[in-house]
Amino acid sequence: MGMSTGSSDGATPNINVTPLIDVLLVLLIIFMVITPLKPSRFEAKVPAEPKDQQNVNVRPNPLTLVVAISKETKGITLNNEPFGDVSDTDKLSNRLREIFKERENNGVFREGTNEVEKTIFLKSPKSVRYGDVVKVIDAAKAAGASPIGLQIDDLTD
Amino acid sequence: MGMQIGGTNEFNSEINVTPMVDVMLVLLIIFMIVTPLLQQGVSVNLPRDMISPEEDADIAKETSVIVAIPDNSNFYIGKEQYPLDALGDVIKRRMEGKTPEKRIVYIKSGVEVDYGRVVQAIETIRRQDIDKIGLVADRKKGVEAPK
Repeated sequence: MGMSTGSSDGATPNINVTPLIDVLLVLLIIFMVITPLKPSRFEAKVPAEPKDQQNVNVRPNPLTLVVAISKETKGITLNNEPFGDVSDTDKLSNRLREIFKERENNGVFREGTNEVEKTIFLKSPKSVRYGDVVKVIDAAKAAGASPIGLQIDDLTD
Repeated sequence: MGMQIGGTNEFNSEINVTPMVDVMLVLLIIFMIVTPLLQQGVSVNLPRDMISPEEDADIAKETSVIVAIPDNSNFYIGKEQYPLDALGDVIKRRMEGKTPEKRIVYIKSGVEVDYGRVVQAIETIRRQDIDKIGLVADRKKGVEAPK
């Protein structure tokens, strides 16, 4: 009685690994597809709530860049100059790139730091699609703007 | 010469589908398990094909606060729906004890939502002394993150 070890009978004890490899390869492919779906986001800042007293002595900053979206035409303006519209944001990002380049060459820094001033503010009417607003943010960020401030007070409908 | 059609030789011309079925079943099971795990909160039609959003692994973390706005009438945090005036308290509670650089609220808004609704959410967030907002968007495939 007992198991016969090392007997020389005809059956060879090979495991068929092919299905195992099949399954593992499929698993590998699935994880390769899933992994690049890492979440990403645009960071935006919100200016502090305006104080009650209206006559605060604020010196307008000549470096401020305000990007605005028009409700009717979906046009984009940068400091009131038109630069394309939401379906074509290249004009805006090209212009912003130019401005930032110029500032870098001229050494225009944010007050009290030695970083180039690249702040932009975004103003959009309330009825604009969120998708369009994000497109403009994308264009600004692609041009190197940072931080992006979202103006949320006194927006028009 | 030529192919033998309908010959009665012993070769069996059927394809063995068993391994294929095995693989397909495994695929099916994996997707059944993975799909609900991947999705946290409600599903939102996020802005897609963006060039420059930065990757942020914190978005997927359990502890981060994500306000989802799938359409013009609802606000969600996680899977729970909240009215606008209750949103502030929930955010405040979930933000307690976070270090200043972690005080960021993520907004997942659908592209068809009016910007005004998003602004309402941001106003509520700002009242909790939070000035950093993360607007969640999907990056275009094959585009590297900006440095």
